[in-house]
Amino acid sequence: MFSEKKLSAKQLSTLQDIHTKSLFSVHRELRFFLYIGILMIVAGTGLTIKQYFTNLGDITIISAMTFCFAASFIYCFIKGAAYARQEVNSPNIAFDYILFFGCAFFSMDIAYIETQFNLLGDFWDNYLLVSSALFLFLAYRFDNRLVLSLALSTIAAWFGFTLSGHRFSFEQYYREYAIAYSLIVLLIGGLLYRLHIKKHFYDIYLNFAAHFLCIALISGVAQYKIFSLYFPGLLLASVALVYYSVKIRKFLYMLYAVIYGYIGISIVIVDQIHGETIFIFSYFILTSMLVIGLIFGISRKFKENE
Amino acid sequence: MNFSLYSSQQEENIFIRKQAKTWLRSGLITPDQLGVITDATDPNLRQTNLFFRILFFIFTLLCTGTLVGLFAWLISKGGNTDEMFLAAILIFFSAIYYMAAEYMVSVRRFYRYGIEEALALVAMELFCAGCGWLLSKYGLSNKEITIAVLALVTITASWIYLRFGYLYAALISLIAACFIPFQLSLPPTGERVLLLIILCLIFFLNVIYDKPEIEDFRKERNTTIQADLLIAIYLTVNLHLLSVAGIFLGRASSINLYLKLFPPYIYWLSYILTFMIPALGIYWGIKSRKRLILNASLVLACLTLATNKSYLGLTRYAWDPAILGIMLIGISIIISRWLKRGQDGNRYGFTESNILKPESHGISLSDVAAAFTPNFIDAQQPPSQPGKYFDGGSSGGGGASRDF
Repeated sequence: MFSEKKLSAKQLSTLQDIHTKSLFSVHRELRFFLYIGILMIVAGTGLTIKQYFTNLGDITIISAMTFCFAASFIYCFIKGAAYARQEVNSPNIAFDYILFFGCAFFSMDIAYIETQFNLLGDFWDNYLLVSSALFLFLAYRFDNRLVLSLALSTIAAWFGFTLSGHRFSFEQYYREYAIAYSLIVLLIGGLLYRLHIKKHFYDIYLNFAAHFLCIALISGVAQYKIFSLYFPGLLLASVALVYYSVKIRKFLYMLYAVIYGYIGISIVIVDQIHGETIFIFSYFILTSMLVIGLIFGISRKFKENE
Repeated sequence: MNFSLYSSQQEENIFIRKQAKTWLRSGLITPDQLGVITDATDPNLRQTNLFFRILFFIFTLLCTGTLVGLFAWLISKGGNTDEMFLAAILIFFSAIYYMAAEYMVSVRRFYRYGIEEALALVAMELFCAGCGWLLSKYGLSNKEITIAVLALVTITASWIYLRFGYLYAALISLIAACFIPFQLSLPPTGERVLLLIILCLIFFLNVIYDKPEIEDFRKERNTTIQADLLIAIYLTVNLHLLSVAGIFLGRASSINLYLKLFPPYIYWLSYILTFMIPALGIYWGIKSRKRLILNASLVLACLTLATNKSYLGLTRYAWDPAILGIMLIGISIIISRWLKRGQDGNRYGFTESNILKPESHGISLSDVAAAFTPNFIDAQQPPSQPGKYFDGGSSGGGGASRDF
């Protein structure tokens, strides 16, 4: 390419350096260890407080955590770049993680205060709303995806859910809240996307919304089978995800749509078959072949490696 | 000897295309230049994207597995419950699926499409299960059958790796081989030493085969296998890893490590090796610029630090993870600053700059990990103390009290 003048000398030199590993970036490794380091500190602090809170005393714990998150936030406001609607690069490699560290310590601090002093009584969960509002602000102010994830999961906590695998509770009450949560998240994300504010955050909103919505709808289908609005709701959500994934060519959403949609439809069909083994086997053979055929058809419309 | 269904040129072209896409993402080349590279490196193979591949894989597994289930059910319903016959059916289906996988590659030119991958893997599973069933009819003990099946998995998975090039097949083969010494009724030291000899042998053979003149795609594959082997060697050597796993799972007290079964010289030799393996790995990774080796060795070094107190019999404290975290952050920042202050932002060819951007799928693992933080914080809250200052109080803060 260089001899045909399709590649500049500078490009050739850079690519050769990268290919021969004369230039070797350790950016991802450093970021990985910074992130793991922050998670270890959060874990270690949490465990220490849990085990030694009577020895340490409330004042020591609260003042230490307040100092940590305040110092982190002050550092970020001093060092951070000015706000912009577009994607902003971090001033240094540790910046994103310092902000995340501050947010995690803020959470721990107010969680501790509320657990020990019960200041808000029955309205304790409003702390979560305040925390998530603060995290949303910080995520947008400093263009931080980790803090946005934290904010969205804190909003989910305010709605009453933890992303815990210990127990999946799909009673009516939680299901409706999950649907409401996903629609609100989708609405906020969509609105901010339309306003051209940090458009690159939209995928995070969409991922949260898609999982909460589809899991809630599947739980409804599992309980009521075909006789409810959950089944058409799930089909509609799956079709919407397929349409969106094809439109913007992000096939992660296709994966969600097909998996969740197939689970929902299978629950309904297997229920209708009434335990006839041969029909159940035939159903899975035929439908899996059908899905393979459909996906094959869709995939051929796009460039092979798209 | 090359057993692969794909030619070296085809694989190398795919590797170059993958590299070129990373260069485009990182702004090192223009879309037009990518077009030129793409035109010049046509592998004449059918490929698909990662998510379609996953879907093809899942639904092919479902289809092939259910088909075998249906046949077995129909035959047993017809009154034929002879285990030999059922085992023969499994082997028959494995042959059909394997031929289908070969057909998909050699005739339909599929490359990492998901369909042929699932077919090959199901063929392997059915073959090994069928053979295991057949062996049980010849009066072999359960242990002998287990050893034979593990050996079969090792051989067939290796064959799939050599034939189709799936790295996970090599990993399956390695894992199956690692289980064999533990089935031989050897003393604990003998089991570990035998496994270590096997792993070191494979490792050195791979390193010898990994010559500088071989194609780039082969170098990359060899590096992955070497990193896997390095991890396997370390896991064999470290006698305290289960105790660390127990701490994280909250079951530290229920895990018996049987450490008294190891002679003191083996115990202390393993302690020394837990430091030596990561150190040598880091040195080798830096020297040869093998990213995976370097990353694996760094993770192993963290594991060594995590198990150090257990080896020395020192008391573990709740703040130990925090100290390790502070250490990791400190080292990362020092290295980052040191590299940044070098000439043109690099030293000895190492740079802190993000020169090659990874592919983005909208959400990353770190975003997912961040989403789980409120749950962790909620779980770590100490119990409230009624009457300490005010009455009552039993709520979470950063987390919540209900489960979804």
